[in-house]
Amino acid sequence: MNKNNTVISLNRVSKTYEGPPPVKAIKSVSIDIHDGEFVAILGESGSGKTTLLNIIGLLDGVSKGKVYIDGQDTTSLTDNQLSRLRGEKIGFIFQSFFLLPGLTAQENVAEGLLYQGIERKTRMDKAAKVLKQVKLGDRLGHLPRELSGGQQQRVAIARALVQNPSYILADEPTGNLDKESGQNILDILKELNNNGKTVVMITHNRDHAKAFKRTITLTDGEVVL
Amino acid sequence: MSKKLGLSDIYSVAVYGIKARKGRSIMTSIGIGIGIAAIVSVIGISASGKADLIATLESLGTNLIKASPTSGFFGTQDDLPEGVLGMVERIGPVEEVTSTTQTDLLVRRSDFISELEGGGISVIVTNPELLDVVGGNLVDGRFIESGLGSLPVATLGSVTANRLGIKNLDTPTKILINNEWFGVIGILEKLSIHPDLDRSVFIGYKVAKDLFDIDSEPSTIYLRANPTYVEDVVDVLAPTMNPENPDQVEVSRPSDALEAQQAAEEAFTSLLLGLGSVALLVGGVAIANVMVMSVLERRMEIGVRRSIGATRSEIRTQFLLESILLAGLGGFLGVLLGAGITVGYTRYADITFSIPVWQVLGAILLALIIGALAGLYPAIRASKIQPAEAVRS
Repeated sequence: MNKNNTVISLNRVSKTYEGPPPVKAIKSVSIDIHDGEFVAILGESGSGKTTLLNIIGLLDGVSKGKVYIDGQDTTSLTDNQLSRLRGEKIGFIFQSFFLLPGLTAQENVAEGLLYQGIERKTRMDKAAKVLKQVKLGDRLGHLPRELSGGQQQRVAIARALVQNPSYILADEPTGNLDKESGQNILDILKELNNNGKTVVMITHNRDHAKAFKRTITLTDGEVVL
Repeated sequence: MSKKLGLSDIYSVAVYGIKARKGRSIMTSIGIGIGIAAIVSVIGISASGKADLIATLESLGTNLIKASPTSGFFGTQDDLPEGVLGMVERIGPVEEVTSTTQTDLLVRRSDFISELEGGGISVIVTNPELLDVVGGNLVDGRFIESGLGSLPVATLGSVTANRLGIKNLDTPTKILINNEWFGVIGILEKLSIHPDLDRSVFIGYKVAKDLFDIDSEPSTIYLRANPTYVEDVVDVLAPTMNPENPDQVEVSRPSDALEAQQAAEEAFTSLLLGLGSVALLVGGVAIANVMVMSVLERRMEIGVRRSIGATRSEIRTQFLLESILLAGLGGFLGVLLGAGITVGYTRYADITFSIPVWQVLGAILLALIIGALAGLYPAIRASKIQPAEAVRS
């Protein structure tokens, strides 16, 4: 694969949390993730998974090294530029769904486009379309509390998808779900990937990681080859 | 880089926070609401009262001067020196002057009433000019006139008419003064600032002399001075009337009493406004408190918004606007409540309703400013939450 379709590129990235005592969470990690890949980042708790998620998600800066998203160096960007980049390039899926409780499923999904300067009607139309895609077309007007955990996570996936991001970044998306719902979410992610979407999932669950074409294992802040 | 949020989006995001917690939002805005209600009703009630007071002052004029002998040591009143009316008339800026003579005549509705039941009504002997000088109006009939000579007729003050049960003069009406029957020829309107005149029966000097042998020595004089020289007239009046003992003449301007009343009301209004401001301040602190709490509770929301592209300033704007809207909501409810209180009070006190619009707008603006100040710290705090920390479950 050539460099043009490298979606995420970490180049000897280190992250040290200033102490005391200073903690080296990530030690000189280099990872390239290409367009259309289905990647699981596997690691025990304390392995630096969350730190890596924050870096790949542009939620946190690095201490050393470079982070390229779609070939663009992000380490020198301002906070505002990073915010916009997150909105445009990254579709986040969180373990606890993180839906806004006062908004309907459709409004929650439409919120994914809010900060991109798209007008409300277009947002709502796109949201309805994507919700149908995750088989929630009949739940547009439901509030999160009226939905099951699996359904809530599907709304969250729709919110990530509606942004048409360069990659989906899922943080333990099945962690709060029963086995069946969890499997359902994995199937949806897999289907998205089959349709060409780059998916990066962070998990500690080795069974789930088996479904992925590529697994990056993290131990003690370093990639295990 | 994509463009910023539209105004309606910014607004709807801020409204979301308020709508998602309706009960709390209303409770939070109550503090501001009470403050604004207090301010608006104080402004409204004082403006309504003032309008009436000013109307009274205007109809009365500030150039009316009253002079009477000071009360003696045992409460007895000395008479004014003879010829005093002529002396006063010769003061340049005096435009009109008239006198009254207090009597101890007894007024009764009829001879079936015991002589012991006077009812606090006194008989005042006066000139026809009195009506003009004190600025009185008639409810019915006419005031005593010089042409009536020694005819036994009388005009009643408003309180007198009320006490004697005489509402109008549709049928000929007579009252008993001492043991002489007098025909009632007129009833005066209430003279707001002359309660003593309201409680009186007016008869002419000639009939008083003929029937009761009362001399024309005045006990009180009323005069109108040129408005420019009112102060000067007040200064020279006592020495003119009684050159030997000017301290035995008491000079007063009835309008002074009204002005004093107005000043007192203004002082009271300021006090209430101060209390209203304290309520506003407390309301502001309550909003700040709730907003700080809200920011802590809504870390997840902040994290989500940051991860879907919100910048720090957009988060800050959201919480700031939410706080301003909360205060605005309180301000709006407060204006309604305050206007309601004012309407209720003006009906109860029977005064003209008046609320100065610009002051009400000012009150709402004040609420919005307090909301903005209260929201500033929480909003800055919200914007400083690191996205990585906010999305940690």
